[in-house]
Parts: sequence; structure tokens; C-alpha cells
Amino acid sequence: MSASRATGPVMLEVLRNRFQAIADEMASLVLRAGHTVFVKETSDFGAVLVSVDGEVVCAPMNTGVALMVGVPCDVAIRRSLALGVGPGDVFISNDVWDTGGMATHLPDIYVWRPIFHGGRVVCYAWAFVHSSDVGGIVPGSIAPSSAEIYQEGLRIPVAKLFRRGVLNEELLALIRANCRIPDQNWGDIKAMISGLARAERRVGELIARYGIETVRSGIADVLDYAERQAREEFARIPDGTYVFWDYLEGDSGGGRAIRLKVRMTVEQGSVTLDFADTDPQTRQSYNLPSHSRRGHWQFVFSLVGFLRSVRGGIAYNSGLARPVAVEVPRGTVLNPEPGVAVGNRSATQIRLVDVIMGALAQACPGIVPAAGAGQGSIFLLRVPDFETGQSKVSVIQPLCGGSGGRPMKDGIDGIDFAIGFLRNIPVEAIEADMPVRIRRYRLRADSSGAGRYRGGAGLEIEMQVLAPEATVTSRAMDRYRFRPWGRLGGRAGARGYTVLNPGTPGERDIGKIDVLHLGYGDVLRIGTPGGGGYGDPLERAAAAVLADVRRGILSRARAARDYGVVVTGDLHVDAAATEARRTALRAAGHPVADFDFGPEREAYERLWSDALVTALNRALESHPPRMRTLLRERVCELIDGEAASGRAAGGVDLAGLLDRVLSAVGHVPQTAAAPGTR
Amino acid sequence: MGPGFRLGVDIGGTFTDFVLLDEGSGDVEVLKVPTTPRAPASAVTEGLRILAARLAIDPAAIRSFVHGTTLAVNTLIERSGSAVGLLVTSGMEDILEIRRLRLPEPQNFFTDAPVPLVPREAVRGIDERLGPTGAVERPLDADQVEARAAELCAGGCRALAVCFLHAYANAEHEAAAKRRLAERFPGVFVCTSGEVWPQRREYERALLTVINAHVGERMREYFHALERDLRGLGVASAVLSTKSNGGIMTARTAGERPVETLFSGPSSGVIGAHWVAAQAGYPNVITFDMGGTSADVSVITDRPVYSTEAQAGDFPILMPSIDIKSVGAGGGSVAWVDREGVVKVGPRSAGSEPGPACYARGGAEPTVTDAYVALGWLNPQRFAGGGVPIDPELARGALARLGDRVGMDVEETAWAITEVATANMYARFTPFLTSRGVNAEEYAIVAYGGAGPTHACLLARELGLARVLVPRVPGALCALGCLVADLRADFVRVFDARCDRLAPEALERAFLDLEAEAGVWLRREGLAVAAHRFERSAEMRYTGQSFEVTTPLPDRVGETLAPVLEAFYRVYGDVYGYVDRDAPVEIVDLRVQVVGVTPKPRAHPAVPGRGRPAGPGTPRRLYWDGAMIDAAVYQRPALRARDRLSGPAVIEQDDTTTIVPAGFRAHVDPQMNVIVEVQRQ
Repeated sequence: MSASRATGPVMLEVLRNRFQAIADEMASLVLRAGHTVFVKETSDFGAVLVSVDGEVVCAPMNTGVALMVGVPCDVAIRRSLALGVGPGDVFISNDVWDTGGMATHLPDIYVWRPIFHGGRVVCYAWAFVHSSDVGGIVPGSIAPSSAEIYQEGLRIPVAKLFRRGVLNEELLALIRANCRIPDQNWGDIKAMISGLARAERRVGELIARYGIETVRSGIADVLDYAERQAREEFARIPDGTYVFWDYLEGDSGGGRAIRLKVRMTVEQGSVTLDFADTDPQTRQSYNLPSHSRRGHWQFVFSLVGFLRSVRGGIAYNSGLARPVAVEVPRGTVLNPEPGVAVGNRSATQIRLVDVIMGALAQACPGIVPAAGAGQGSIFLLRVPDFETGQSKVSVIQPLCGGSGGRPMKDGIDGIDFAIGFLRNIPVEAIEADMPVRIRRYRLRADSSGAGRYRGGAGLEIEMQVLAPEATVTSRAMDRYRFRPWGRLGGRAGARGYTVLNPGTPGERDIGKIDVLHLGYGDVLRIGTPGGGGYGDPLERAAAAVLADVRRGILSRARAARDYGVVVTGDLHVDAAATEARRTALRAAGHPVADFDFGPEREAYERLWSDALVTALNRALESHPPRMRTLLRERVCELIDGEAASGRAAGGVDLAGLLDRVLSAVGHVPQTAAAPGTR
Repeated sequence: MGPGFRLGVDIGGTFTDFVLLDEGSGDVEVLKVPTTPRAPASAVTEGLRILAARLAIDPAAIRSFVHGTTLAVNTLIERSGSAVGLLVTSGMEDILEIRRLRLPEPQNFFTDAPVPLVPREAVRGIDERLGPTGAVERPLDADQVEARAAELCAGGCRALAVCFLHAYANAEHEAAAKRRLAERFPGVFVCTSGEVWPQRREYERALLTVINAHVGERMREYFHALERDLRGLGVASAVLSTKSNGGIMTARTAGERPVETLFSGPSSGVIGAHWVAAQAGYPNVITFDMGGTSADVSVITDRPVYSTEAQAGDFPILMPSIDIKSVGAGGGSVAWVDREGVVKVGPRSAGSEPGPACYARGGAEPTVTDAYVALGWLNPQRFAGGGVPIDPELARGALARLGDRVGMDVEETAWAITEVATANMYARFTPFLTSRGVNAEEYAIVAYGGAGPTHACLLARELGLARVLVPRVPGALCALGCLVADLRADFVRVFDARCDRLAPEALERAFLDLEAEAGVWLRREGLAVAAHRFERSAEMRYTGQSFEVTTPLPDRVGETLAPVLEAFYRVYGDVYGYVDRDAPVEIVDLRVQVVGVTPKPRAHPAVPGRGRPAGPGTPRRLYWDGAMIDAAVYQRPALRARDRLSGPAVIEQDDTTTIVPAGFRAHVDPQMNVIVEVQRQ
């Protein structure tokens, strides 16, 4: 097949490389000059070039989050054009409702700069950082329990931070006055602006070298090129519809499990992700404001991972996202109404990874791993700063766990594909910076889902506080209730736990952390989830089981129970006992399921079946979203009551329960635009 | 004592290179012999015998013997060194498994985390604890250390590494453990993290310690054998080894600290390039070493730039080494066309077996070298001094097959390959140069390696720089670097101070302490040096940042810290394009590099020619940017100082071919370098 486009097959590769260099160069400037912890410690930032149509043309390959493909910048561009776009202008926004799916929570501060040639915009240089604080109800701005976006900090609608190179001091003062860490935020914004200026210079050099027409058509053609590659790989996926769902536990604010359900349809290289039966928006901050954009970055993440896995060196830009249609009804947790809280949407994003992976796993069983830990929580500690009289906040560690077991390979210990770009923090650096001792930072034994290829082990962190008052926040903790699932006979991985003062009389299992206060000497131990296993554990080589026992990540008891491998006290395999045990396990009807979700989810779904949840969501569809949330809560309470009294055994009379609720809340005023009952 | 000889030897993967300098005449003799991987010392003695016989010299007349070897890095990459046991602070036993978490390819479902160099079964926790300032919070029990080590040795460990938390702040626990281990396990190689590199960051420090232990025994035996063999041949001078930091050390020290030799080969090439450029009057250069599998660049701004982010195989190397960026774009890199019809080059290399198609060793895929041949840039009869026969028809055939798929003829395809290879280099090198604060236009390129001088002007054009320097011995610059390197060692101390709260005397005192330590090292090396100096630097950042910039500092801290801050602002501004003079700045750690200046060879200006080079012979038809052109062909050995020529031209020599494109001109300088420059209109 020969390339048919303005840019020839050589210039295309030359320009793709040149654009890549610009993105990488910007990213290195932002990372190294960054001030806030998320930029420095977790690489939560991005730096890209964007086409005049709002598509990402190139994104850094080795720094920053792997989450820039599919960021829709078209709405933000339209807003900036309305304000007037000139050379030397720099725009800024973090607004979730003003940028059409670009910013999806307020800590993500985006800045962009038009790059001109001959009086016309050629492209935009664009960057974002996840700021550690943009004001709001808690330090860090994100609390799972927030209900309104107004609790989550300052909203900056699209605005000019620089006009023709001159700083808008008033806007800056407004921003600085509304966050807890004005200097750090301004430091990060300066770092981004220096990246944008560098990109402008590099694009100018590129135009000088190859001419404006070549550069303009090159931008269009590298996007088309990525799209063609993506379509070709998607076309190898068998056509069909693949259904999968998974849960956000949602209970850190006292709520219920939130179900994300996808129907993924693949047809000749096009993919449609339909979330019609996903739960309504929530009162807590798990809402992900995607605006149901085609190819939205948080929805295509798993598919981009798939493309990069099956085709090394694939062009890396928003062209990869073009074949992916996203259909999310308004009012659901993945496309909420304006005004709801969205801060904790990264938890949702991570579960979305699991959901799409689950669908993809059915389509491509030989490629897609079992579920990873599914948690990418950032564990923050705040202590008094005696020097300044204020307080001091630092990341202790990212809390992530093992990846899922893979076809032909074990999962990776301690880190998972959903957040594979995270780095941890040296224990010595934490202790030098904060009054704590990290007494243990190890792999967590018996956390891996058993399998022919086992899941990756979770982590175990034990921290002692040496300060009079300390506060811990840890957003996006999840998988404390439902396990990471196993695949094709592989078992689900272990759930997470949090224990206060282990091994003392005051020992307490405290579950997920929203905001936790600790006193001097308190010890907190956290175990993160392990990845699900892949394939029948009885087929795992006994030697591999023994190696896990010797490495200390598998107990002898679990080796016998899950794998049927009998390991002796001096750490050898008892071959005869193993053979006998494996035979007995097989004879006892040892299960080999497509997916193993673990007993907790199975028990939960005995009441909250797919049929019931789907029927409930459909029954509520016609109500306005905020009413829906209320009605849903009430109906669920009634269903719980029925179940507790044993009346739900023969099935739930949903219509009857809904009528009861509607008559009880009948005094809620209805508007003409929002039809009341069906 | 009259003038003698200096010998530099670089043991590479395929060849061992020798450069012998006659101090009296300034003559340089170059030799290549095949490397003997199983017993690398025997290629050295073999080469020395050949040289001594060829030039009729007595090995005793060799005053200086410096060599570099890839033995440590190969041992590490093959993981063929000693089985290591690791002792860590309890609770941290999975330190090598957890790493820094981030996946090598975060989105690739098939990616693999690096396999730890020490299996988890060979790691033991020790119940001791220090705080971040070095205070003892839980004392060490040496009996427990001995008991754990006994288990590890019984399990087959031949070397022991010790890495305790916060050992950079207080080395006493590690030292006590080492004393006990040395006493009870005499044949076992023992090293501690504090003595290897006392910097904060436990994973990276543990890795350095483990690597040192892993390669230690083999390196110690190797240096021992080499020294014995050289003495047997009558060499009386000290035996020295090159280091990753571009310096040299005695073989005895190298046997204790072999981790410092990991990047000594490429670093030594940079030192050679630096020397050549400085002699020629170019203080700021980008070195460009292009060989069969990769193209490597580094930066010299008056002196080489150092990195603490180098990578050896799977592992980050925290110790300062010369900052080299490597891209998989060499002469052997394979060109291909993807399913969308886009032309790609590399990263796969045809290596030397089967090698480029034109080698006629069975390679069917076109490589960068095949492109050079088809473009008429290389002389098939003279490739590698005539040592590698080239069949241009095989190159053309391979290119034609590729070109058919994109509708281009052989020459167009070949030209496209050079363009894509250059774009690959540009894409990786530009962010690298930027993060080092380099504005490429202000630099010259020093081109070496087999393909460096062939490709340098293409790269220069993309980077927008105007001058390329091709040394006299571009194929043996690593060995040349051995001849001119100084004794160098690095010392680090964690300092942690904000400049607005720091007394200048405290900083001076800390530097003096570190210099005292460095001085002890230099004396222990026991070599006569012409002079010595201490180069101070500090890792500095704005308070709140977590990446530091390495800031070279003056020799003395004066009355105020203003010069220290100014130095920081200068470096910071170069890299990031802005500075903030109000924000607080902090010093994370202090560095001292001690330099024992070795006597340098005298410059011997060459006898000038008459300005018009001998030859050229029959012009050659070659392809350049869409057209066949006639290029003059010159022989490098026939060129004389002050000779001038204009592109398009080809300069041939045994170890490389220099392309001087149209629009460039070249002259030969008094040190016999070829300087290629953009011709001003």
C-alpha cells in the first residue's frame, strides 16, 4: 500500500520525528522545573502540540502521563478565538464545563499558546499540570465526599493569562488568592510557559527549514497516519459486541457501589463504546465529565494501550482516537450535568480502564491481561510546619498494586498498566522531608491472584508518624470491597486494607481513607490490591510456585490451597504430594471460569443482578438527573429492606417500589422541562 | 631520561584499539586487533607485542599505560559476574523488586519489569535503623549480620553488598557490618553503599553497591592478570584504567570500585574528542560518535557535561558519568517500510553479522551503510581500509526492493534513508541538548566512529550548526582519550540547606572537608601528577522542586553566597529560559571532583602544505538531495596542514569517509584535523 497524501512517505517520518522532539523537549522543561508534588513525583502533567482543529499532534513518549491522546481541545480553541487570538497570547483554563471534555477536574490547569506564521495560526503549543491545590474544601482540592464543584476550588474559564506577551496581573492575583499554594502553582505555570515558548521557537525553525505548506499538511497527515494505523489494528479484532461491567465502590462518602457498564461494538476497524446502562451521576466526586466526546482521552486509554502493545512504534497522537465513538447518556456518572463534584474522577478513570479491558479481553483473549490492582491512590500527609507556623503537605507514596496476570507471563509486582507511569518516592527522601518513619515498604504476601500466570503482588507500606498532629488524605482508594478479577481460570487478586496501630491493643481496620487524623507515634499499615491471575492455577509449574514461596510473596498454605503445590518446610516441592493434591482438586470440580470476580461480588450480584440494576437505571431515565440520584437512593434503600427481610428472594417488584418512592417524594417541585413520572 | 612512549588501549566489543604516541616526535601509531572476549588481557599483550616489533621499541620505554575495557558493563549486561547477597535495613527487603515502580513501557501489556540483579532469596533484612540525620534509632547487631551473611554464603553467594537506610548520613553501621564480614568471610568481595556512593536515594544506591559487588571479583582478577602479563613483557609504568567520569585511576583502585568503569569506553572517546577540539581552539563542541549500531552524542561546554541519570542495561547509575545520549541509528540500522508505506530506519541493527547487505554475508535488508554505498559516498574498495569487501550491487538490490514499495528509485530510497536516520537523531538529541542548556548553533561537532564523519554534515544542517571537526584518527578516539585523560574522582556529601539561611563559612567548611577526602584519594593513587585541583559543584534547586541542576561553583566561597546564587541562576536560566531571583534556593548536595593533571603530550604542529591539496583524483559521481553531482575525491593521508578544499568532496581514509557537501568547504588545521564549515554566501 502506498501513501496517498500531500506529505510523502519520507517527509511524513521526518516530520513525525520533529513533532515528537518538540513534545519531548517541552515535557522535559515542565517536569524539571515543576514545583508541585504531582508534577514532580507522579509525572501528572502533559505537553503537546495541538492542530487548529483541536487534535493532539504529538505527545511525549517517556515523560508525563500517558493520557494525552484524545484530549479534545476544539472547544477551548473556540473559546479562545472568541476572546481574540494574537501572537504572544497565552490562554489558561481548568474549567470542566467550559472546555468540552478537555479539563475533567479542577486541579488540571491547562495553558496554551497559538503559534503564528504569516498572520495565521499554524498550531497551538499546549500543556497541563495536575496542581496539588486549587483551593476548595480540603488541601489538595479533592475529597471523595464533595458533592458540588464549588467545593473543589477555583474555576478558571478560558481566559488570557498573557496578552501579546504581557501578563494579566489581575487574573494572576485572582488565581493566587484562591489556592493554598500560590507560589508552587505559579512556579508550575512558569515552567509550562517556558515550554510553550520553546515549542513556538521550534515550530518556527521547522517552518524555516521545510516551508509553511509542508508543516501545515504534515500536521494533518501525521494525524491521518495514526488513524490509519489504529484502524488497521482494530480491524484485526473480531467484529462483534462485547459487554462488561465493574464497580467503583463509592462508599468512602457513604454511598453505594457505582456500576460502569460498557457495550463495546467492533466493526471493521471502528469501535463504539456505549455506556447506556451505566449508573447515574453521584453525589460524591466520582463523576467524570466526558461530555461524551468521540475518542475522549479517558475512554481510549485502554485501547491506546492495546494499540501500543500490538504495534510497537505506532504513531502517537489523537489520530489513534478517531476510530473510537463514545456514547454516554447525559446524567450518568461518566457524563454528568454541570455543577456536580468531579474531583475524584481519577478513581473512575481507573475503573473505566478495567471495564474496557474486560470487554477487550473477550475480543482478544491472547493479548489482554487480567485486572490489575485498579487503584492509583496518592497518599498525602499534612503535618504542622513549626518553622512557618503553617502546615506542610507531601506525598508519602503512590498506592498502587500488582498488574493482572498475562497470557504467557506473570503480572508485574507493585504496579499496574492503568497507572504504569507513576514513580515512587525514596524512603530516605520522605524521611528527610517529613516527620515519619517508613518501617516497611515491601511486596504484600498472598495478594496475587492465583493463576497459571499469577497476578502481580500488591505493596505493603507501614508508616509511623512522629508529629503531634497529622492528617492523611488518600483519594482514589478502591478495591477494598470487590477484587481485581482473574481470567480464564485465574483467580481474583486480594483486596486492599488499611490498619491503624497493628499489633497493639488499639489495632483497628479502618478501610478507605477520606480524611484521617493521626497522633504522635501512630502507625498506619496499608496493603494494596494484587492483580488477578490468568489461566488455571493447577497448571502453573510447581517450580514457579516454589519460587514465589522462596521470594516470600506466597505462603506455603496458599501454595497448597490455590495451586495444589505442597512445599516442604525446607522449601522444596514434595512432588508426590503435589501430584496427589492437584488430582484431588481437579476431581473436586475445581472451577475454571472466564472471569473470576471473587465471592464478594458474586454475593452482591445475587441481589443486585445485571437485570435489576439495568431495569432500575432505565426506570429512572426519564427523571432529571438530580431527581434520579435521589429516587435511586430511596429505591435502593427499599430493596435493601426487602432483601434483609427475605422478601427479595423471589425477585424485586421494581415498579411497585418506585411508585412508593415517587408518592413519598411527590412534594419535590417539578419543572415543566423535566417530566415527572413515566 | 629522554622522551618515551604513551600507550592508550581501548578494548571494545569487536576490536581492541591501540594508539601509541612517540613523545619525542609526536608521531602517532594506530593498531586494531580482534578482541579476545574470554581473556581480554591477551589481546592487549598481543597488540603490544605487534607494536613493539613494528616500531622496534622496548616496552620499558612506555611511560604511561592507560586502558579502557567494557568488561564490567558486559559482565553486568550478561549478568555473568558473582552471585551477590544483599543486606538491607529490615522492612526494605523488596527494595530491588519494587524499584522506582514506573514501568519501562507504561502502556505496553507485554512489558517486563527488570529482573533484579540479586534474587529475593539472597536479600536479608538486618534489624538496625538510622534516622535521616544519621542518629542511631536502633543499634546494629553485628552477630545478626554475621548470621545472615552465613546463610547467604551457604546458599552460594560469592560477594556481599550492604545498603542500610540513611547510610549517607552516618556510615558507621555499614562500616561495622563490613568489618565483621571481612573478618569472618575472608574470600568474599564485600562492599557498602556508603563507600561506593553516599548519596540519598536508597534504591539507586543499593543498585550501585550490588553492581559493584557483582562485577567486583571478575574485575579484580582481570586487573591482576593484566598487570602480571604487562610486567612479563617488561612494561614498568603504572597500569591505569579509564572511568565513566572520563578520568583514570590505578588498576588497584579499579579492582575495588569497578562500578566506576561501566561507561569508560564511550567516556574515553569524549575525552579524546575534547582534547582534539581544545587543541584546535574549539571549547564548545557536541561530540558525535556514529558506529555500527548507534549514534552517541555528548556536550562539552569548556569541559564535559556530567550526568547522574545514566542507564546501564536495566539499571539507573547515579554516579557522575560523562553525559552521553545514544540513539539506535548507526551504519547497520535497518531501513524498512511500514504497512502504511512510511519509510522507517532502525532501531533494529543488522550488526556485523549478517551486517549490511553490501557486506555479502547474507544480509538482505538495506541499512544506512547500504544507502551510503548506493549514493556513491563510500568507496567499495576502501571500506575499513579495504578490510571489508563491499558489493555495491547487493546494496542497490536491497534498496530497490524497498524502493519498489514506495515508488522510489534506488538513489531516492537511499537518500530517504539518510534523511529519516537524521530525523531520528534530531528527535532524540534535541530534547537532550535542551535539557543541558545547549544552544546547538553555538557549537561545533566533533565527528568520529566509522560513520560519524560521513553523516556529520547532515546532522549539522538539521541542528543548525556551522562547523564539523574530523580528528586525525576518528576510528581510535577512545584509545586517544586514554592518552590524555587526567586522574579524576568524585565525592559527594548530602548537605540540605537553604541559601537564605546558610552561613558562607559553613558551606566553605563542608567543601574543605570534602576536598580533604578527595586529597587522600589522590595521594593513595600514588602517581606523579603535574598539578592537582578540586572542581566544586552543587546540586541546587528552588525550594519545592525535586529536580536539581548541577551548578559548577568557584574554588572558594567568599564573604557572601551571592556568587553561588549567581552561578545557579546562570545554569538554571540556560536550561529553563527564566530565573526567579526572589524564590528561595536550596543546596541538596555538594560535589567535589579531584583532578590530578597528568603530563600532556606536547603539540607538534604539522609541516604545512601549500594550501592546495594533493589530488584530487577522478571526480566521483554521487547523489545528493535529488541530483547526481561530481565530487572531488581526496586521500586523507595526502592532505597537509592549511590545505583547503570545497564541497562537494569526499575525503577517504582507512577508518572512515568524510563527506563535504556542496555549500560546505574544508581545511586542514595545524593538528591535522579536517575542519568542515558552511560556506557563507
